[in-house]
Amino acid sequence: MLLADFGTSYCKLLDTGSADSPRLIATNTIDRKNTKVDLATGHNGKRYAAHYINELTALARGGLSLIEEQAFTLLDCGSRDIKYVTYIDGKIKDMGWNAECGASMGFTIELLEKYYDLDFSDMAIPKSSFSITCGVLGMSHIFDAVVSGESEAEAVAKFVKGIALNAYDFAKRPSKLYLSGGLCDNPLFVGSLPCPVISLGRFVLLEGLQASLELSDF
Amino acid sequence: MPSRKKQRAGIVGVPPLSVMELLATPEYAIFDLDEPQGRIDIETASPFLPRVYCGILRTVIANSLSIQPDIIYIDTGSGKCDCAVHTATILEDILPDCRIVRTRNNDSTGFGNPLCRARMNLLDKMAAITASVQNPLPYENIPACHPTAGFWGVPPRDFSLLKFFPDTTHIYGWTRCMENKTPDNLDLEMHFNPDIPTVFFAQSFCAKTALARHLTSKHPYGLFLDCDVTAGNSVKAKIQAFLELSGM
Repeated sequence: MLLADFGTSYCKLLDTGSADSPRLIATNTIDRKNTKVDLATGHNGKRYAAHYINELTALARGGLSLIEEQAFTLLDCGSRDIKYVTYIDGKIKDMGWNAECGASMGFTIELLEKYYDLDFSDMAIPKSSFSITCGVLGMSHIFDAVVSGESEAEAVAKFVKGIALNAYDFAKRPSKLYLSGGLCDNPLFVGSLPCPVISLGRFVLLEGLQASLELSDF
Repeated sequence: MPSRKKQRAGIVGVPPLSVMELLATPEYAIFDLDEPQGRIDIETASPFLPRVYCGILRTVIANSLSIQPDIIYIDTGSGKCDCAVHTATILEDILPDCRIVRTRNNDSTGFGNPLCRARMNLLDKMAAITASVQNPLPYENIPACHPTAGFWGVPPRDFSLLKFFPDTTHIYGWTRCMENKTPDNLDLEMHFNPDIPTVFFAQSFCAKTALARHLTSKHPYGLFLDCDVTAGNSVKAKIQAFLELSGM
């Protein structure tokens, strides 16, 4: 079966009949007319799939498959939104999906990296951060800081740290955080989170789809 | 003999039973101004109430402007909310031809909660409860079902968020007070069932968000949820995921 997590910027695809690893492709390269998968998640997923699982359910099931602990918080930071699930004693305790105030976090960070030609793996984590609510509204802080004489790299680093702290608050400030999504690959973002972080990578929602297969008769 | 034109009476919140007995006569056509009444644009309320305000009271203003009732009974006691007090003042100013009657519903005789506990589509159940405000007669006896999920809170502005719940959902919170015709009954409002997964709902920007969050923290399988005018995808996904992951 073909499983897919159709994200805003990237799509993740897994063929369960193949030994190959999941594929990562840019969303804007998807064949919109002919792409069809068996089971999907992600906000573009309904368009291409015979069956659809909502993203929070896929995230939770992916977390349950990959995390051995009975109590955990798993935060997914994607291009467009952030979402989290919290389990206690193996049961769902809390969840959140912020598509408005957490909007465009990942997308904006990637945009800034390209625009300012930065390498996030080579940037120090700043001591302070901007107080921002979302990717779009936070941009003006960068422009103000650069106009005030701060380097572009320093300003963007403060922006990224502000976004990381915002995401941490959104997940209700856990003592340890499991992280999924594209921002797992951004050391500046991961290092800016104020607690121990275990990165699970980009394919947690695909893992959740696999778990969903076992629970139903798709 | 020419028929006498009915008086258009708007109600906000749950007016006292004595008022509803008066209105339940052929002389009045009753409009529940808390609920969307047809395709009335909520933005017509924006010149008079901030956009960042309770979606239900914004609906009250929009409905009142469109329907132009002859009289509005608006409950401004603790069975409704402080925001209704200010909304009543605004209604007086913007509808000079309408008589605004502020009520304080201190009724304490319980009519019971047969609908809140019935096996029924939750959307239909909520609609039946809000409609029951207009009927001063005792309820029919409806058997209670075994609950598998709970919905705590006020009737939402957007009923579409109710469609994900099973028919065996029991209703708690202020909606239960509403059906019981005792809107100022905090003990009843705070009651919940700790054995079933429960969504604690409040309208965004409503003071009841504090109580909803507080009770969620006390419930072993509770989810806090707030929503403004319409339920977006993230709100619906939260409900759907919570119920699925709770074994519904």
